[in-house]
Amino acid sequence: MGLHTEKNLPVKAAASKRAVWRKRVRDNKFAYMLMVPTIIFMLLVHLLPMIQGFWMSFLKLNQFTLGKYLKAPFVGIDNYVGLLFNSDNPVRQGLNFAIRNTAIYAVIVTIGVMVMGLMMAMLLNRDFPGRSIARTAMLLPWVVPSYVVGVLWGFMWQQNGIINYFLVDVLHLYAEKPFWLLGPNTIWAIIIPTIWRGWPFLMVIFLAGLQTIPEDIYEAATIDGAGKLRQFWNMTLPMLKPVIAVQLLFQIINNVYSYNIVSTMFGNGAGYPGEWGDLLMTALTRQSFGYWSFGSGSAASIMLMFAMLMIVGVWYRAFRTELNAQ
Amino acid sequence: MKKTAVSISALLMAFSVVVSGCGGNNNSSNSANNGGKQGESSATTAPAASKAPSTEPVTLNAWVMPNSPKPDADFLKTLDPYLKEHPNVTVKVTVLDWGSAWTKITTAATSGEGPDLLQLGSTWVPAIASMGGIDKVTDKVADVGGAEAFLPAIWKTTSIAGDSEVYGVPWFVDARAIYYRTDVFKQAGVDTATAFKDWDSFKSALQAVNGQTVDGKKIAALGLPGKNDWNVVHNIFPWIWAAGGDVLSEDNKNVTFNEDKGLDGVMYYTGLAAEGLVDKASLEKNSSQIEGDFGDGKSAVIISGPWLAKNFATPKANGGMDDKKAAKNFAVAPLPAGPGGQATFVGGSELTVFSGSKNKEATWELIKYLTSDEAQNAYAAVSGQLPARLSLLESPDLDANMKAFSEATKYGRTYPAIPQWGPTETALQKHFANVWDIVAGVKGKYSRESVKEELDSAAAEVKAIINQ
Repeated sequence: MGLHTEKNLPVKAAASKRAVWRKRVRDNKFAYMLMVPTIIFMLLVHLLPMIQGFWMSFLKLNQFTLGKYLKAPFVGIDNYVGLLFNSDNPVRQGLNFAIRNTAIYAVIVTIGVMVMGLMMAMLLNRDFPGRSIARTAMLLPWVVPSYVVGVLWGFMWQQNGIINYFLVDVLHLYAEKPFWLLGPNTIWAIIIPTIWRGWPFLMVIFLAGLQTIPEDIYEAATIDGAGKLRQFWNMTLPMLKPVIAVQLLFQIINNVYSYNIVSTMFGNGAGYPGEWGDLLMTALTRQSFGYWSFGSGSAASIMLMFAMLMIVGVWYRAFRTELNAQ
Repeated sequence: MKKTAVSISALLMAFSVVVSGCGGNNNSSNSANNGGKQGESSATTAPAASKAPSTEPVTLNAWVMPNSPKPDADFLKTLDPYLKEHPNVTVKVTVLDWGSAWTKITTAATSGEGPDLLQLGSTWVPAIASMGGIDKVTDKVADVGGAEAFLPAIWKTTSIAGDSEVYGVPWFVDARAIYYRTDVFKQAGVDTATAFKDWDSFKSALQAVNGQTVDGKKIAALGLPGKNDWNVVHNIFPWIWAAGGDVLSEDNKNVTFNEDKGLDGVMYYTGLAAEGLVDKASLEKNSSQIEGDFGDGKSAVIISGPWLAKNFATPKANGGMDDKKAAKNFAVAPLPAGPGGQATFVGGSELTVFSGSKNKEATWELIKYLTSDEAQNAYAAVSGQLPARLSLLESPDLDANMKAFSEATKYGRTYPAIPQWGPTETALQKHFANVWDIVAGVKGKYSRESVKEELDSAAAEVKAIINQ
C-alpha cells in the first residue's frame, strides 16, 4: 500500500496542480485578455524584427543584393568570421576606438548619474518649503529631448562658446581656449551632457526608494549614536540596494547603446565624432549601415547583443540575493 | 467597469502609436494641388478637351528634398502651369529631409512601395540604379534634349560609370565658389581682379585682408568648416582636383587622391588654416554656422554655393540675412587655379522614375515639364539653385552673382559615378575629419607626413570598398 501511494503521489499532485493552474487561468481571464494586445505588439515590434535581424546576419546583404532583401545569398557564418578574423573588414575600422570610448563613457556616465541622482534625491527628501517646486525644476534636463541636448551642448562647447568663456575668461583655468569638439576632449563633451540629462530620472527613482524607508529607524539609529555617514552606509544604501541594482543595469544598457547625443552634436550625424567621440552605436551605424553592408552590420549587432547578455548575466549573479528578496 | 475603460483606452493608445508609427513616413507634407483639383472637376465635364496622351485621372506621388524655403508649396507652384494644362493630373508632394532620405529611399526601393517621381542627389543615382530602385530612361532622354542639353559634370552622374544606360535627368545644379567682402578687400588695398587668379595670388590676398579692422573688430581672412559638417568631402576635393589629383584612376580601379598631387591640394587648403588665415574656432563649426559668421562680419572670405546669395537677398523677416552689412558688400569669384588648373565641386539633383511606380508615362511627362526652360527658370528662382540646362546656364539674363556661379560650373567636377560612392564618401569623411584634428593641433603634429599617413589609411579603406 505504502509503496503504491508513494508512486502515485507525484502524479496526483501534478494533476491537482494542473487543476489549480487551470482555475487560476480561468479566474484571471480578464487579465490575460488585457495582456493580449501587448503580447501581439511585442511580437510585432520586437521579436519579429529581431528574428529578421538574426536571419540577415547570415546573408550577403549589401547594396547589390538589397533588392532581394531576405532572399539575398545565404553565406552562413561568413559575416561573423569576417568580423572576428579579417582586420580589413570595414566594420572593424576604428572599432577599437569606439569600444574604448564606449567603456569609458558607459562607466563614467553610469557612476555619474547614479551618484548625482542619489545625492539630489537625499537633498530633496528633506522637508523644506518649496520642495515640490525644486523637484519639478530638477526634472527639467530630463524633459529636454536628447536631440536638443546634442545640438544645444554642441553650441556651448564651441571654442568661443559659453563653456570656454566661463573656464577661461571667468575662472582662468586654461591659458588658451581648448577645443572640446575636436581631439581627446571630445569624450568629455559627450559624457557631461549625458550625465546632465540623465541624473534627474535617477533622482526620481531614488526619491521613491528613499520614501519607502521608514523614518523611525533613523530615529532609533540616532539614539544609538550612529552618525549621519554611518546611517547612510549602513542603512540607506543597503535599503536602496534593490533599486540601485535595477537602475545600474538599466544605465549600463542605456549607455552602451547611446547614440543620439553623439550623433546630433557632431553635425547631425554628418561628421565623424573623432577617435575620442565615436561610440559603438555610432561606429556600427557608420561602418556597416553607412557602408551598406547590412549583413555584417546585423552580425555585429547580434554579437553586441550577446556581449550585453553576458554583462546582464554578471549583473544578475552579483545582485541575485537582493533581486530575489524583492 | 472602470478597469474595462482603462483597458480600452490603453488598447486605443497602443493602436494609435502603431498606426502613427507606420504613417510617419508618408504624412510629412501631403498637399494636394488646388489647381489640380479644380481641373479634375472640369475634366469630368469636358473630357475631350485635353490633348494629352491620356486623360484618365492620375495621381502622382513625388518625393523631393527641402530644396527651397517652402519645399512643397514651391514645388507645386513650379508645376502650376503644367497642372492647369493637364487637369487630369494631381501631384502629391512628400518632402524628405536629407538626413533620413537615404533610409526612406532604400526602404522604398526594397519594398517597391514608393513614389512615382523621385528626386535623388546626383551622387546617389548610380547606387539606387544598381539596386534596381529607378527605371532606365535611356531611350527617352532625347525628349529632353539628351546629354548635350545639360551641364556635362552633372550629366555624368545620370549613368553608372562604364555603362551606357541613363537613369535620370538633371534637375538643378549647385557649384562652390568664393564669396568675398568687397569693402574689406578695398580697405586692405587688394585688387580683386587678380586676387582669385591662382593659389599664390589667393594666399597673398588672404594674408593682406587677415586681421583687418572692420567696425572695430578684427576680421579673419577665411572661414571654413572643419569636420563637423556634411560637406567635408565636397570642401576638400576641389583643391585636390586643382592640384591635378583625382579621386580614382581613369578606370575607377585604383585610388589616386593620396598621391603627391592630391596631397599638394590637401596641404594647400588645410595650410590656409594652419598658417593662421582662419579663425581656428571655425574648425568646430558646420557650413551654415560659417555662412552665418560671414554674414556677421567674422570672416572676409568663405566658399559656398548659390543659396547663400539668395539668403543675402531674402528679408530678415523671412529668415534671410538682407540686413547684414555683408549682404551689401559681397561678390562672388570662382575658386583660384592650382597647378592642375581650375576646379570646383558641382553637385545637384536629378529627377528619376521610381521602379515601383504604376504611372510611369505620366511621371515621365512631369519630368519633361520640370526640365523645360520655363520650369527650370521658375524653380531656380525659388530655390536659389542653378538650372541644369546649359542654354539657361549661359543665358545673359542671369544676375552677376549667378553668372559667377555659372562660370564656376565650367570647371565643375564631380565624383566617379560608381555605385559604391556612398560608402566611399563615408570613409573619406571619417579620414578627412582626422586631418582636421591634425590641423587643429589636437592629433599629433601638422606636417605633410602626418597628413599623408591619414590619406593613406583613407585610400586603403576606399580601395577595400571599391573592390568589394
